[in-house]
Formats: sequence, structure tokens, C-alpha cells
Amino acid sequence: MTRKKTTILYIGFLIAPLACIFLSLYVGRYPVPVGDVCAVLWNRVWSPENAEQSIYANIIWEIRLPRALLGTLVGASLAVSGAAFQGLFRNPLVSSGILGVSSGAGFGAALAIVLFGTVAAVYPFALVFGMLAVVCSYLIGRVYSVTPAIMLVLGGVIVSSVFGALLSFLKYVADPYQQLPTIVFWLMGSLASARYSDLMIAGIPMVIGIVGLLGIRWQINVLSMGDREARALGVNTGLSKAIVIVCATLATTGAVCVSGVIGWIGLVIPHIGRMLVGNDNRRLIPASLSLGACFLVLVDNLGRILTGSEIPLGILTALVGGPFFVYLLKKTKGGDW
Amino acid sequence: MALVDVVDAGFAYGARTIFDRVSFAVSPGEVFCLIGPNGCGKTTLLDCILGLHGLRAGSIRVQDCDVDSLPAAQLARVLSYVPQKHERTFPYSVLDIVTMGRAAYVGMFAAPTQADRSMALEALEQLGIQHLSNRPYTRLSGGETQLVMIARALVQQTPVVIMDEPTAHLDFRYELLIMEVITRLVKSGLSIIMATHFPNHAFYLQNSGVPTRIALMHGGDFLAVGAPDEVLDEARLKKLYGVNARVITLENNGSKPMKHIVPLSSA
Repeated sequence: MTRKKTTILYIGFLIAPLACIFLSLYVGRYPVPVGDVCAVLWNRVWSPENAEQSIYANIIWEIRLPRALLGTLVGASLAVSGAAFQGLFRNPLVSSGILGVSSGAGFGAALAIVLFGTVAAVYPFALVFGMLAVVCSYLIGRVYSVTPAIMLVLGGVIVSSVFGALLSFLKYVADPYQQLPTIVFWLMGSLASARYSDLMIAGIPMVIGIVGLLGIRWQINVLSMGDREARALGVNTGLSKAIVIVCATLATTGAVCVSGVIGWIGLVIPHIGRMLVGNDNRRLIPASLSLGACFLVLVDNLGRILTGSEIPLGILTALVGGPFFVYLLKKTKGGDW
Repeated sequence: MALVDVVDAGFAYGARTIFDRVSFAVSPGEVFCLIGPNGCGKTTLLDCILGLHGLRAGSIRVQDCDVDSLPAAQLARVLSYVPQKHERTFPYSVLDIVTMGRAAYVGMFAAPTQADRSMALEALEQLGIQHLSNRPYTRLSGGETQLVMIARALVQQTPVVIMDEPTAHLDFRYELLIMEVITRLVKSGLSIIMATHFPNHAFYLQNSGVPTRIALMHGGDFLAVGAPDEVLDEARLKKLYGVNARVITLENNGSKPMKHIVPLSSA
């Protein structure tokens, strides 16, 4: 790729999520003219003290903007941690949920719903159990010390299936009229209830995780040479791997606990990135960040305009993303991917 | 001063002893070959020198520091490693792969600079494969991959290169090419520790005028250590491999006579 082309691509990656966020302020059941969207944003940013309390301002600033921002963060988190895990485990079939984060968080959320009957305690429970699942996978992976990467994956599979079983058990014992539908809808994922408070709580782990992975992204290249070679090349593999796992886990748990289990993004967005910019994580991680953010915001927009009621994210991501992936595969012939 | 000093080293996987009381030292500008049958522990010994396994007994010192006490980045500035079989994963470009050799000099949250990249390009040039620099390395032949791995070791700028069977899986021409590269590197002042299946490689290096010493590894111990023409004889080959062989001397049109082993039958 020429230097000029790369620069254009990077500028595109920077602008695209912003454009998607702006678009999503305009899209929804309640029509808001483009001019009013700009006016509301302009007033809020430049003179927040005397902002008008119109219905437009309320919809855009209190409902659509936090939702779009949260969507951006969630999409970026899942895609970036998926790309990082694929590099770390040297396996293109790995996704952000590989160490059991998603199943752990899903179980935590269901537990909160069954215990307290409301969605209020879902965040802390999902967060704690998501982390707990990764810690379990990590401990299982350490039992046997010769090939840690593959053992970590195996640990993740085991932990996922255990939490999956526990989740089924909770569904089985849950009240079928109140709790069960809440659990099922939560698992399908939605940004509908997004508020700034969510952004503050779940945003922190997501931002920390993303920034950490952006920082360590070149070393993920070296780690993908395998433990032996990475060590011989001078990488403190234990520490570097731990940093990647912690960052990816923070990002994924933050994402999963606000938006449910959207597994698909962490697997496929990195591959779309690989087709566009290649496999070097120095480019792939920023590309995944941008693509994941755009993709989730766009799918969320679709979900709220396609039908009268909202379509859950988990359903649409796969329905929209699957064909798009095939299209891109055909178009780029996979590149060097 | 010895660059690498192995003293009474012993290692075991569980109860199975791999090698015991092994000692040798490697000086600047020489090749040290480990020769022995499959499974005799050559690779394990190299792994121990690289600090990948801890020893059961004895010590390995690299530039007068104990291997176990050195952080990975420090060790990687003294020892570089050319693996026996590199498992390819993602199709990085050849230049990206070679630049990874700079990892010991690049911080954890940093990326290689332009200077690192030009160093990588220089290494590719030195090995005559600069035309491959933008190719995805997963599409290279086995011989080309091996040259790329050597280039990666060179940009580590270490006084010692460790090679594990550098010519395994290579065709007739690439085998010779790699041996010529090794000869050139040692003549330029590097030290090389290599494991090899082919006793003739030791003769090749000696015939090329490179300071060469070999260790015959047998039953977890060194059968003999020394220059190839002193150590490699028919009796020892029989003991080492269970092979009846003849060591012949080839008169090569006036240049120095070359020694060569011809295997005859398995004993």
C-alpha cells in the first residue's frame, strides 16, 4: 500500500465513526430535521448554561447521543479485544469472548435479574462474573505450563460451558412471566436504555482496555510468533500476555455488561480489518476500533427504524454482518488475508 | 572470555533425564555444533541456553551472567535464535517479520522506528533477499523462510546466534546456501551454536576454514568434544547412530583436501 493511500485510509477511519454518530442523532422514530440536530449540538457545546429545553434537544442530547456514544464504545471494545485475542492466541477463529467473558457476564446478569427482579444490579454482577470467568480460564491455563496459549483457550472453552450451563439453570428456575423474558432480551443485547450514567460506569473499563491495547499493539505482533520465539526475541511474554488479557477483558466486560452478549463483532470485524489493512496489528487494531464502532452504531440505527419495535442487536449484527462479510470476501478476494 | 559457558548442566522432564553433567564453552568467532541422533536432547539443551527451560543442575552463564537471572530483553541482546520449524500464523510482510528482531530494543508500549526498519532492510540485503521484503512471508518457500529467520536474528545484533537444525526440510541448493551464510557470518566475527542432524556439516564448516568444534551427544552425555577431524571417526559414528560409515578424503583439484562421511549400512 502506498503512503498516500494509507493516509487517506487512516483519515477515513477517523472520520467514519464521527459520521456514524452524527447520522444516528438524526435517525429514529421521532423525526428531527438535520438543521435542528446541528443547532442543538452547537448550542450545547458553545453555551451549555442557557441551553433550551426543547423536545428536540431532549431527544438528541439525552437519548440519542448517549446511545450513539455507548454504541461506539461497545463496538470498538469488542472489535479491538477480538483482534488482540486473535493475535495473542495465534488463531483467527478466536473472538473477544474466548476466555469466557461473555458467558460469565451473561450468567452474572441473569443472576442479578433472578435475585433482585430488576435490571438495576445487572452492571456490577455482569462485570464481576465476566472478570471471574477470565480469572478461572487463566488459572486453568496455568495448571499445565508447557503450551500456555492453547491451554488458555481450552480453559476458556471449559469455563464458558460451565457458565453456559449455570445460565440455563437460572433460566429454568426463573419466573417465566417476568424474569425469563428480561433475561432473554438482555442476552440478545440492546442499547435502548443507554444513559450518560451507563457511559460513566461501563465506559471506564472500556476506555482503559482500548487505550492499553492500542499502546501494546506492536508487541501483539511479536507475541503472535509464539511463546518460544517471542521470548527469544526479548519479550517478557508473561507480563505482555497478562497486559493484553487484562485490557481485552476490561474492554469486553464493559461492553457486555451494557449491551448484552453480542459475540459476533469480536470475531468478524477484525477479519474485515485484515482484508482492508492487512495483519500488522499496528494498523489492524486502529482499523478494528473504527470499523467496530461504525458497525455497531449503524446496526443500532437499523434496529430502531426497521420495525415499530426495536430489533435486538444480537440478531441484527449477525443478519447484517454475515452477508456484508461475504460481500467483502468476494470483493477483496481475501487480499493477503 | 567465553560468550556462553555451560557448566555441569543437567535437565530432566519429570523423572526422565534428558542430559546430565554437560559442559562446554563458546568463544567469539567460532561454530559449536551439537551432533546426535533424534531425541538425544540437542533442542532441549539449546532451549536451556535460551532460558526457556530452567536447569535441573549446573549453570549456564552468558557473558558472565546467569541465564536465569537475565530479563528476556537483556538475554535477547546477546543470544538470537533461528527456530527449527517456524509455525506461520498471520501473513505479515517479510519486512515486518524481520523488524520484529528489534523487539529487545523497543519498549513494551512502543513501535519500531524508521531506523529499525532500515536495519531490517540492511539484513535482508546482506542475505540477498531484499526483493522479498514486501511479500507475505506465509507464501515463501522453506528455504526463503529460513533466510528470513536468519535475517531476523541478525537485526537482533547479538554476538551469538543459536540455530536449531538450520537446514532441516531444505532442498539441496538451499542447504548449501544456508551453510555458506553460516560460514560468512562466523568469518565476520559472530559465534554460532547449532544443532544438526548431518555430521557432514561439521566437515563442511571445517573445510571452509571456520573455527569449528563439535560435541557428539549420546545418552544424555557428550561422547566427545573437539575439532571435527579429531572427533568424527568411524567407531564413534557407529556408537552414535548405529551406522557403518566411512570417512573419506576428497582431493579437490589442488585446493585443500576435504573430509566427508559416506554412510554404508545401518548396523
